[in-house]
Amino acid sequence: MFSTSSQRKFWTFSDEGELAILREKHNLNYIAKHGTHIDEYQRYNFFLSPDEERLLLKQYELHLKEFCKRFSPPMPKGVVGTAFHYFKRFYLYNSTMDYHPKEILATCVYLACKVEEFNVSIGQFVANIKGDRDKASDIILNNELLLMQQLNYHLTIHNPFRPVEGFLIEIKTRCSLANPERLRGGIDEFLEKVFLTDACLLYAPSQIALAAVLHAASKEQENLDSYVTDMLFREAGQDKLAVLIEAVRKIRSLVKMVESPAREKVRLIEKKLDRCRNQENNPDSEIYKRRMRELLDEDDIPHTGSSRMSLDTSGVTQVLSPSAS
Amino acid sequence: MDDQACPRCKTTKYRNPSLKLMVNVCGHALCESCVDLLFLKGSGSCPDCNVPLRRSNFRVQLFEDPMVEKEIDIRKRVLKDYNKKEEDFATLREYNDYLEEIETIVYNLTNNIDIVGTNKRIEQYKKDNKDIIMKNKVKIGREEVELEEILEIEKQMEELRRAEITRLEQEAKKQKIREKEALIDELMFAEGDAKDILNTFAQNKASKQEELVPVVPKVTQFSTGVKFTRVSTQPTLPLIEEGPLYKYEPLAVPDRCGPDPPSIEDIVACGYLKHVRAETETEKAGGYKSTLPCLRALQDALTGLYHAS
Repeated sequence: MFSTSSQRKFWTFSDEGELAILREKHNLNYIAKHGTHIDEYQRYNFFLSPDEERLLLKQYELHLKEFCKRFSPPMPKGVVGTAFHYFKRFYLYNSTMDYHPKEILATCVYLACKVEEFNVSIGQFVANIKGDRDKASDIILNNELLLMQQLNYHLTIHNPFRPVEGFLIEIKTRCSLANPERLRGGIDEFLEKVFLTDACLLYAPSQIALAAVLHAASKEQENLDSYVTDMLFREAGQDKLAVLIEAVRKIRSLVKMVESPAREKVRLIEKKLDRCRNQENNPDSEIYKRRMRELLDEDDIPHTGSSRMSLDTSGVTQVLSPSAS
Repeated sequence: MDDQACPRCKTTKYRNPSLKLMVNVCGHALCESCVDLLFLKGSGSCPDCNVPLRRSNFRVQLFEDPMVEKEIDIRKRVLKDYNKKEEDFATLREYNDYLEEIETIVYNLTNNIDIVGTNKRIEQYKKDNKDIIMKNKVKIGREEVELEEILEIEKQMEELRRAEITRLEQEAKKQKIREKEALIDELMFAEGDAKDILNTFAQNKASKQEELVPVVPKVTQFSTGVKFTRVSTQPTLPLIEEGPLYKYEPLAVPDRCGPDPPSIEDIVACGYLKHVRAETETEKAGGYKSTLPCLRALQDALTGLYHAS
């Protein structure tokens, strides 16, 4: 139940300001840690700003959506929602400069497949990824434990999809609305966009679902307000109704504001990121390869070079996936 | 078992079904006839390992692997001296070390590892622990005597019981004969109707049998034997300490933070099920009902609606 879940307790925040503060904090931390050799003025040209990180993540959320859409075998909606949750949660406490979103994105989807019981083997999974597949599966398996740790092992996600079904059943049973099934198109479209916003970090899944239903109804020129006020909230009182109305209004406005970031801008940010990212976590870098060799020398077990990976920086010294080797 | 064969004369179990393999302390098997042949004088040496053996030490091989037999022999011998009990040790640890030592000795002797050293060890131990060994031997002897006494008592009881049963049986037989004679006498000399006499006798018999019936359980109780009844009645059911009776309290429903969903009865009554896929026959057999997903969807839709940041 959402009301008693870790999702409500630890991962539903009061407003966007709180999210912004968290995101700015890890950005500043990263700059403070890695920018000592660069003077004050240059720093802002070298590192990504919080806004740039934000823009980059928006772009990668679009990638995530596309990746899931094109995934074969076709993926249930719950997996996509869960993967979005993981992705957003991870970057609340981590910087894109530390961990490249490209890598975390795939790991999130892989973990979501597992959690949502969508059975895909790692081989099947990386078949959906372009490029070097062995490298990709190494990266995913190595990042999996890190991701879980950063999520604080709060892996259960309450998605708005089942609440939507609940509302449709309710409406069919208790309202006189003609053919509620025609709302589905609008609802799906709305929910797809919701995951590109921060709504799932701010509101309950049932509130998001209700917003989706109301939005779809208004698109069909129907009005379900009386259902909400007279049936759902008949015994709840005006204050609670006011909170809900505000939440629904906010979710709808968040969805309305969704726009894909300008391609040119994102390209520049990616270039910048290539220079300022934490080379210790870049599988292609010299420093990473050297550390791998050191790790190999430390324990004499013969391993293939790229399969071990150190995930240092945030207190995690060595999280090594047992399945990776 | 079919490939059991005497290593000397090569007779197999298949060719001679009465073949009996015997083993001695060295652990090498011989068939009965070979033992008779080789140990005519009462002693001789093992054809396999030349160890001097006595004929009286031969016994029937119980296990397929003669090594096991050898180990049993050795173990018997070692345990004769290593007869300390757990009470003889201060700590469990010491006792376990002691048991471990015994196992090591037995293993060494069985597998011919450092026999001289091990035998020295045993001698040393015998010397060091003379008193305790003697004491324990006496103790074991006493225990055995006690056990035999118990067995003896049981045997006596059994005999008594059997005698009692035969006595009762004979008595019953005599009683029957007496009754028959009485009936014939009556029929011969009484003046009444023969049918009436038969009826009264039959009734008398029935009533006597009824009298006898309650005796039967007494007899069986007695016949179980003193020892038996004591053993079976002693471990009576342990007394269960009775606390206050368990009272069921329904689980507290956590705050849903939203309107209450309908109950399962309401779901059925208000027609929610019309809008949910009905369960198939197979699913019904597995305990699945369409009310469950319906309720879950409704619950999920309604919890958290009051959530305020």
